[in-house]
Amino acid sequence: MDSITTAASVVAAGLAVGLGAIGPGIGQGSAAQGAVEGIARQPEAEGKIRGTLLLSFAFMESLTIYGLVVALVLLFANPFAG
Amino acid sequence: MIQSEEDPPKEDNFSLERPKDLSPANESSLETYSPEEVNIASSDEYLHLQRRLILTTLILAALAAIISAIVFDIPTTTSLLVGSLSGVLYLRLLARSIGKLGNLSTKVSKFQLLVPVLLVLATSRLPQLELIPALLGFLLYKPAMIIQVILES
Repeated sequence: MDSITTAASVVAAGLAVGLGAIGPGIGQGSAAQGAVEGIARQPEAEGKIRGTLLLSFAFMESLTIYGLVVALVLLFANPFAG
Repeated sequence: MIQSEEDPPKEDNFSLERPKDLSPANESSLETYSPEEVNIASSDEYLHLQRRLILTTLILAALAAIISAIVFDIPTTTSLLVGSLSGVLYLRLLARSIGKLGNLSTKVSKFQLLVPVLLVLATSRLPQLELIPALLGFLLYKPAMIIQVILES
């Protein structure tokens, strides 16, 4: 793998993780805030709130995982490495 | 019945519909439960959801492994099974960190993100594992969640 491909892969890996984590991070923060407020207001609905939070977190975090996988593939199993 | 914000409970008991798994001895006071009973029923509901999700993921993984063994070869099936087991582990860690939220911790742990990292590293290091089937197996928890949401709604 030549040096330009290596440098571009490392930069792209960093961008994939960094940019891919911004949106889910903001979303998870606001979702967790709403869930904790909801549990504090209605403790009797804690199980339902936690279940909904689990589902929404899993869907949001999968976006982070996509960026993470792309970055790891670029770093450790680069398809552009000649 | 969930109480509204404008009408907070004046006593220590909440008025709820009776859960099926609670069986108090005094049948005369069925409509009122103490906060401890409410918390137990609520955490039971969360545990049931976790178990249903993991069970659905395992069933989907078994179905995908059977189809993969018929259509593809053994290394592909092995990678799919390893990925789906990683997905179950990820789901379990995520559920545990969400279960701690509010009671023991004020933030959600990111420890579960190590699971896909280790999975990709393992597929790049071990020649027996393939990347794409392992990733597809890892993401089998998402159809399981969609199935759960459809069944609940």
